[in-house]
Amino acid sequence: METFIQVVVNGLMLGGLFAIISIGLTMIFGIIKIVNFAHGEFLMAGMFLTWLFTTKLGLHPYAAVVVVAPALFVLGGVTQKLLIQPLMNARDEHIQIFATVGLSTAMINLALLIYGADIANTPAYGLRTPLEFGPIRVLEGQLFILGAAILLVIGMELFLRRSRTGLAIRAVAQNRTAAQLMGINVNWIYVLSFGLGAACVGMASVLVAPLYPTSSNIGTYFVLIAFVVVILGGWGSIPGAFVGAMVIGLIDSLSGFYIGADLREAVVFGVFLVILILRPSGLFGSKQKLSHIS
Amino acid sequence: MKHILSLGSPRTASWAAPALLATLAALFITPVVIGDAFVYHVFVTICIFAALSTAWNIVGGFAGQLSLGHAIFYGIGAYAGVILMNMGISPWLGMFVGAAFAALAAVVISYPCFRLHGPFFALATIAFLEVFRVLALHFRDLTGGATGLMIPIKMGWEWMVFRERLPSLIIAFGMLLLCLAVAQWIRSGKLGYYLVATRERESAAKAAGVRTVQVRLIAVAISAALASMVGTFHAMYLTFIEPSSMFSLSFSIQIAMFALIGGIGTVYGPLLGALLLVPLTELARGWLGAEALGLHGFVYGVMLVLAVLFMPNGIMGVLHRYLQKDDEDEETGQTQAAPVAAVPRAEPEHKMGPEILRVENLDKHFGGLHVTKDVSFNLREGEILGMIGPNGAGKTTLFNMLSGFLQPDSGKVTVSDSAGNFSAPVSPADFASIGVGRTFQIVQPFAAMTVEENIMVGAFYRHPDVNDAREAARETAHRMGLGPWLNAEANGLTIGGLKRLEVARVMAMEPRILLLDEVMAGINQTDVRRAIDLMLSIRDTGVSIIAIEHVMQAVMSLSDRVIVLNSGEIVAEGDPQEVVRDPHVIEAYLGKGFADANS
Repeated sequence: METFIQVVVNGLMLGGLFAIISIGLTMIFGIIKIVNFAHGEFLMAGMFLTWLFTTKLGLHPYAAVVVVAPALFVLGGVTQKLLIQPLMNARDEHIQIFATVGLSTAMINLALLIYGADIANTPAYGLRTPLEFGPIRVLEGQLFILGAAILLVIGMELFLRRSRTGLAIRAVAQNRTAAQLMGINVNWIYVLSFGLGAACVGMASVLVAPLYPTSSNIGTYFVLIAFVVVILGGWGSIPGAFVGAMVIGLIDSLSGFYIGADLREAVVFGVFLVILILRPSGLFGSKQKLSHIS
Repeated sequence: MKHILSLGSPRTASWAAPALLATLAALFITPVVIGDAFVYHVFVTICIFAALSTAWNIVGGFAGQLSLGHAIFYGIGAYAGVILMNMGISPWLGMFVGAAFAALAAVVISYPCFRLHGPFFALATIAFLEVFRVLALHFRDLTGGATGLMIPIKMGWEWMVFRERLPSLIIAFGMLLLCLAVAQWIRSGKLGYYLVATRERESAAKAAGVRTVQVRLIAVAISAALASMVGTFHAMYLTFIEPSSMFSLSFSIQIAMFALIGGIGTVYGPLLGALLLVPLTELARGWLGAEALGLHGFVYGVMLVLAVLFMPNGIMGVLHRYLQKDDEDEETGQTQAAPVAAVPRAEPEHKMGPEILRVENLDKHFGGLHVTKDVSFNLREGEILGMIGPNGAGKTTLFNMLSGFLQPDSGKVTVSDSAGNFSAPVSPADFASIGVGRTFQIVQPFAAMTVEENIMVGAFYRHPDVNDAREAARETAHRMGLGPWLNAEANGLTIGGLKRLEVARVMAMEPRILLLDEVMAGINQTDVRRAIDLMLSIRDTGVSIIAIEHVMQAVMSLSDRVIVLNSGEIVAEGDPQEVVRDPHVIEAYLGKGFADANS
């Protein structure tokens, strides 16, 4: 029983991690309707920045957020402005897919060029210390991640629902043309949204960096999980992503323990495929508008 | 993704074929002449990537299903080859075993995924790729797990492994030719037209009798089998395979990237892409070695981003633009055929035949909305049935049920075949095969095709051969007054032209029952009169027509009988003159107040 509880707790901690890396992805999709295949590389870039900040300046990795989040905001905004914006009206979807796939390829290899194939370990500053609650053990850093994920979900929801800018963002997400007619600068909203989504990734990266070694291909693993989470939670839904992340965290942890560590990925992606095929709008997403034949 | 049909259609530029042959010859002769081992390696690699990319393009380009998991099939071929070779079976046999497995896997994977579009299909293929990689790592006994598999040391043609370089080049080159030949064959035949039509407008393709799922599955199976065969050979060439390099995402992306940069959806684009980019990689590796770790990948990524921004149609698109400039002089010299006026109608009292379509008690709900309520009527052979009713009356929904695009909640639609036996078709393909053709209210041209090619998609239904279909399409086009625009892009037509194209495409299927959904809406008076003549001439060939129409002039002069639909119910039915005087009809259009005031 104790083992089971430990496995479940591990799953929830993992869920917090998956949630915090997925929020930006689902937000960008929900508003701009773009699947950002370079999402994982944004995380990778943020983690390298955190590593540089921590090792060069000798400061706590969490302090890096003041640099990393704005840097990622700029990266996201620039990506939207220079890469996505010109392709928003492309007739074929494959053009947009290739755009971010190309960006992802370029970023992975740029990191490889600069840092080589070695891994970069961000100093942990005690974040990898296990905390014991009776028989249950969790890492300090994991608790921070879970807490931050919850705060980020609440914060983003409040921002989107209560603020004037948030209202404009939701209007653009619902109907771009109508929003434009209401005097909203749609292109600016897109840049802002992509930037905000990327800044969320920046926040995630300072939290993840002390726990996971940074390497050029770290993003690939995390981005696939993030896709799974976002599909499960319903594209564009931030609370959905949080719940999806918890579910995937639990599946990952339980299947890793009970089925076999080397097969847990197969289980996770299997679940992903079943959801994607049977219920493409996600477990918690509203039913997508059925294509209308006229 | 325009100009896709430029190669393989009669409009092929005169220099294209020689240029292609010269390129292929150079691909083979250059390494033989230079004789350097490294040069051989570069050219073998070009052939392999070009072949893979060409195979990918059958699915990713022609069918428009963007797979980022094609390494699955390549990997299956590689593992099948090596595992069987370790059991003493020649890779020449293993190649076909692998191809069979790959084709099967492709069909099983793709069937459920075809309901996903764009990025979601790409994501699903990535997920499948991950599953295959993890499974390959897990089943150590079969695949050797993470340590990988070596091929046994057996040399010679029988084993596809050679000490000298030339035989490898011959095989790689042969595989490239095979892939190109298959791609060319698909592209220039019925299957290619069906694939592109499905990619451009799935519902219009269905209405044209295309079994859209089936054609895409065929494409996927062929593509996977080819990729797998190349994979088998590449494994022999590499002599060592392991899961993370065989089932690799970045490898899958590269394959797709060559096609995009060369020209996605064209037969020879992938070859051009590989020809341009592979040497870059191999040279960087050869000269800079480990120092340049990541350099070629970085260049690839940047090239891909630049390509989507500045030449989304790839090198072929750029070439085509130059080619068009050359052609313009010729085209202006061409005399424009005068539009063919509809043949003046002989005025025989036309006779209506027996019942051909029966609609019984159709009911359909969309959520809480009752769209059609207990709708019943029938249609006789050679009859023109006008269907009118205010917006939202359920006319188009009814059409969707009469052509298999929607299933009624209850009630049935039965159609008699040419022998007079009634049956109840279900899918759009069933309806097409029993002779029901339809147009769409919102026109659905296949944008990447010319007018002629659009009509050919319909004509293939009766004429499987390309030349016959082209002939039939031209004939239909002339009848519909589309003759002068045969080679124009469908996108460039006016709305009247597009409406006629809709009718032409379905007429090319030679239907017995024609469902016309507002073909006269938004076209000018002259066109309306021509359209009326056209419909009468179609009717005189024995076709029965149901026409949804708001243009009363047309309804009154065409219809043998009119049905008025309001809020999903038939409120009036009968002779056109009587129907328009019916108080129910006036009420439906103008409101109760007007009906009362007039009574």
